[in-house]
Amino acid sequence: MVATQTAEPVSVPGAGRTAAAPGPAPSRIRRFARAVLPGPAPGANGAALYRRWWLPWLWTAPAIVCAVVFGVFPFFNTVLLSFTDAKPLGGAASFVGLDNYTRMVDDSDFWLATRNSVLYAIVVVPLMVLLPLMLAVLVEKNLPGIGFFRSAFYTPVLASSVVVGLSWQWLLADDGLVNTWLRKAHLIRSAIPFLSDSWLILFCAMGLTLWKGLGWYMVFYLAALGNVPKELHEAASMDGAGAVRRFWHITMPGVRQAMMLVGTLTGIGSLRVFTEIYMLGSSTGGPGGADRTLPFYIRDVGLDPITGNAGYGSAVSVALFALTLGLTLLAQRLTKEDEA
Amino acid sequence: MRAGRLTASVAGIIALTLTAAGCGLSGGSDGGDATAGGCKVDKGNVGSGKLTGDVKGQITFQTTNLKKDFGDFFNGVIKDFEKAHPGAKVKWIDDPGDNTFTSRTVADAQACTLPDVINLNAPTATALTKAGYLLDLGTKDPDAAKPFVPSFWKSGTFKDAEGTSIHTVLPWYTGGVLITYNKDLLSKAGVDTTKSPTSIFGLFADYEKVAKAAKGKYYATMANPIWRIPADWDQMNIKTLSSDGKSAVFANDPRTVQWVAWMAKLYKEGAMPKDSLSSSNDPSTLYSQGKVAYGSTNPSFVRFVKQNSPSVYAKTGVGQQPYDALGKASAGAPQYISVAATSKHAPVALSFAEFLTDAENQTAWCKDPDVVIFPTTTESLNDPFFQDVTGSDPFSQARKLVADQLKTASTNQTNLSPAVQNAIVSQVQLAMQGKKSAEQAVKDAQEKANELLKQAG
Repeated sequence: MVATQTAEPVSVPGAGRTAAAPGPAPSRIRRFARAVLPGPAPGANGAALYRRWWLPWLWTAPAIVCAVVFGVFPFFNTVLLSFTDAKPLGGAASFVGLDNYTRMVDDSDFWLATRNSVLYAIVVVPLMVLLPLMLAVLVEKNLPGIGFFRSAFYTPVLASSVVVGLSWQWLLADDGLVNTWLRKAHLIRSAIPFLSDSWLILFCAMGLTLWKGLGWYMVFYLAALGNVPKELHEAASMDGAGAVRRFWHITMPGVRQAMMLVGTLTGIGSLRVFTEIYMLGSSTGGPGGADRTLPFYIRDVGLDPITGNAGYGSAVSVALFALTLGLTLLAQRLTKEDEA
Repeated sequence: MRAGRLTASVAGIIALTLTAAGCGLSGGSDGGDATAGGCKVDKGNVGSGKLTGDVKGQITFQTTNLKKDFGDFFNGVIKDFEKAHPGAKVKWIDDPGDNTFTSRTVADAQACTLPDVINLNAPTATALTKAGYLLDLGTKDPDAAKPFVPSFWKSGTFKDAEGTSIHTVLPWYTGGVLITYNKDLLSKAGVDTTKSPTSIFGLFADYEKVAKAAKGKYYATMANPIWRIPADWDQMNIKTLSSDGKSAVFANDPRTVQWVAWMAKLYKEGAMPKDSLSSSNDPSTLYSQGKVAYGSTNPSFVRFVKQNSPSVYAKTGVGQQPYDALGKASAGAPQYISVAATSKHAPVALSFAEFLTDAENQTAWCKDPDVVIFPTTTESLNDPFFQDVTGSDPFSQARKLVADQLKTASTNQTNLSPAVQNAIVSQVQLAMQGKKSAEQAVKDAQEKANELLKQAG
């Protein structure tokens, strides 16, 4: 108490003359910190005076705490729960060893959900990597009225999932806009069962994901395209390269890192898809539950408050994590091999 | 160096996992004070004995999506309660009531932060009762049952962790069930609109007549079986679950296969829009356009048609739901009010819950012109508002019809978990698409339901 009330400046160990330089008296906290914590290297001056080993930890602490509380801890808790028969509402849980994992192997519904999730990623990822890039190339040029198109392509990103789902239901119904147009154009006689055939529901959900994500990733690519030197395009044009060749040999290599990022984000998103299936296939996940993806299946077996088994749901979550990680690493490896 | 980092990483993972073990698997009593669902609570909130204590302190009251339309009414109720109980304070919050309601409520319960008085549906009440998060109202106030129609009080019976049936909810309001139809479309099909069918299969036969007369121009009803399971089976007195609720038994009744076969036949014959098999089951839009002959079974639907499609409303008729083997109306699935066992002011919470659901307040709310709901107290249902119907319009008829049937309604309401309901519905959908026989679908549905019930323990 006495020490903190003194008006004498406290010298910083090793700070030399600079620390004792005249100026406003340091605050109590700073004086305490200087007294207790190890100081900068001998002879340090200017900004080096404020370099302490703990400062980076202090600034990153909120982010680290958030990551641990909301990411790391739940992850390890999920891994642990996957070896138990825990219930969603808590209570005593027993260790069941690998039972949940062996049950998964024999569970046909789990494999159906895995197939749907993987198929979703296989179809959506390549399209989501390429289509927004092509769209970005189209709207990159500063033509009159191009702002309208940029906004129009971005609008689906802002629309709520519920509104988008209802709109697509209306479009794809037997007497909806799509079937009506096709009938009027004499291309079909009876309605295409977009909302009652399980395969069509799955592909329509993929279409919905693409439609809603195009604008978002287009913005990524617009930023990346700004880093591709215009001189390269000009030189290639002068050498007689057409638009397709320039796109393939200049634009794509120039935005390779952005493509990698979009591919990874889309891959993770595709394996976790839930809303689109729910919107088009209702709470059962399509007729017979045939369109259920892994998150849908986790909800059914793990999260139901009455009959859910959080242990088994966690085991399926771990499998989903492993699948996501595996596919991401595979994509990275393929990209590196391609670069080499 | 790499090996050292790997060792450090593995050690970190193990440490975190063990930490997670400490936090994640804890549950139940900590050996201290009384606990409910793993939360420390006042001793008076659990065990036997009537709840006693001063009605003083602040409580939280949570409704489901009611603030926007009924703010004035509930603020008035709260004000009256606070006036009658000086020292008591009620803080009202309103949940949006979306499809994450149950999971959010469960998360609140696990965090020991459940609102003191909360509006619940049957599945959420089932889960919370089993885990011990709700006050046993039958024990804590032996007179709690008195104001309610016996069937409604009985419908609020759920099993605790030991499998004992207890009352953890007060019945609040219900929607009622009836059949609504377009008289013109039924007459064209030769269906007698003056006489409602008395059985579910009789109603199905009428659907078939409509399908044959319509020839694809309009439909009888919607296809998604999710709104018929287990309601139709309850009405037919088909047991969906065993008496202890631990296994599915509906496949043991041959009428279940007949019911599925009927649904498959009707779907194939065009009695239902093909695209409604697994999508929206709400007929409001198609009915208002004159494209579906039978409307929703909820009386509020009649008001919807009256407001949105006067020309179709003029052709609308209402009738008694088929009583079938049950012989009377089903009480359906009312909304409930419950008190959290974790409440720090349980006497205030219980007192407010009973005040909110008493005859006077139920009747007052049901008279609100913005709502079509029905009370669950005997005194309210005898109110002239429900009985003295002078108008011959469908809306007035619907109100009297439902009020009458609710006084003697059955308690035969099967409470299926959403996952089990989806598992059964999925198999019926496959049968309707012709991908499975009705027999196989019923057998598979029972197997899938039992898998889920078994894992629930």
